[in-house]
Amino acid sequence: MNRSSIIALGIFAAILAYFLSFGADSTRKLQAGFYSLISPFLKSGSGIQKQITSVRTGLQTLEEVERDNASLKVENRSLKATNQALRDVEQEVNRLRRALEYKERSIFRLVPAEIVARDSSTWWRTATINRGKNDHIESDMPVVTDQGVVGKTTTVGENITIVLLLSDENCKVAASVEGTREQGIIQGERVSGSVTPLLDLNFLSKQANIEPGRKTYTTGVGGVFPSGLLIGTVQSFRVRELDGQARIAPAVDLSHLEDVFVVTGRK
Amino acid sequence: MIFFIILLVLTFLAQMAEFFLPPLEWMYNARIYLVPLIVFYGAMALPFPLVLMQAFFAGLLLDMVTVQALGPRVEISVGWSILLYAVLAAIMHGLRPLFIRGRWEVHCIMSGLCTSAILLSQYLMIAFRRGSLVFTREAWWQIGGPGVIAMLMAPLAFWILHSLGRLTANPYLPEPEPYE
Repeated sequence: MNRSSIIALGIFAAILAYFLSFGADSTRKLQAGFYSLISPFLKSGSGIQKQITSVRTGLQTLEEVERDNASLKVENRSLKATNQALRDVEQEVNRLRRALEYKERSIFRLVPAEIVARDSSTWWRTATINRGKNDHIESDMPVVTDQGVVGKTTTVGENITIVLLLSDENCKVAASVEGTREQGIIQGERVSGSVTPLLDLNFLSKQANIEPGRKTYTTGVGGVFPSGLLIGTVQSFRVRELDGQARIAPAVDLSHLEDVFVVTGRK
Repeated sequence: MIFFIILLVLTFLAQMAEFFLPPLEWMYNARIYLVPLIVFYGAMALPFPLVLMQAFFAGLLLDMVTVQALGPRVEISVGWSILLYAVLAAIMHGLRPLFIRGRWEVHCIMSGLCTSAILLSQYLMIAFRRGSLVFTREAWWQIGGPGVIAMLMAPLAFWILHSLGRLTANPYLPEPEPYE
């Protein structure tokens, strides 16, 4: 090893030691700065990805087009008959939809945000949204959609925020099961082979015997998530050595998220 | 030096591209990693101080996109990925004589193994932090799968990078030895 290599190694070791000594606050600041720096790349990349996806989903083979055409002709005749009857209903539905606009009907102050990037790593499940400190977002704020809980904010930059998804093992949420007195802690799996991973609801009583289909809600314990937010639906229940565990299908499709809301407080 | 800067830019762009590469469902959600290939090519084609600089840059990028600061604790401190990349790049740099002799296949295989080594190390670190070590079939696929993909992509990636090196007159690129 020549002299320049030894000097380079020494400098490298010193800088490495400096970084290894970083605490949580310094790490958060550094990460927020980094994400603010790369946010233009993420935002433009997200736009390109959406365009590519829309073109790809629009492409069909000739056979598929013919098949679609035949079935659409049949469907068209049937729809013409019902169309007239539905006209009045349509107006009413539109009015109700507007009335039930999630942001308006929510009891929380919500900041709408768009997912600009998903996690690029194997072991951590996060998403990046296009809102940050400028929108009064802070770390440890719940992130939801009109369907239920998505996760919570971690590192917050000026115009960008990292959201720790509910499916990550580190995102723990106190939850209760509807129609029972059972409460436990929901957390994601460390490794999942599925695009839509299930969640584990741990620390239930062994006698709980929770039926599939029951809904789980946040309890408000822990201080991050307010109570009453839908988390998911029970898929199965099993008794372990010390407790009962339920498998939960998240209410929100975390793999196809596009728009979310950050809960910044109550109205 | 121009080639070194190009490699840094490519490393950055590859890291950005990884955000938009979806996991492979048919491979138990294994992911495609582009950055290690660029770093490991740099380990063969650059002198040791520049290899360290590139490993530092790639490691810092990886740390920034993976680090989780939750409340008062950080799961894996910033710096561990830098160390990982530096160690693996140094091993690859040690195999440079083979690269000079034109034996690229060793580096293609090593790129795959080193990519998997990064994932295995990360997994072991989080297992240590979270207090339980569980190796499921999915975990093995998510560690081994990216390595296999890297091995398959390496010949093309190395050829492109090598051509770039020649185009930019990278002074550290090896000349074929007279007896070959």
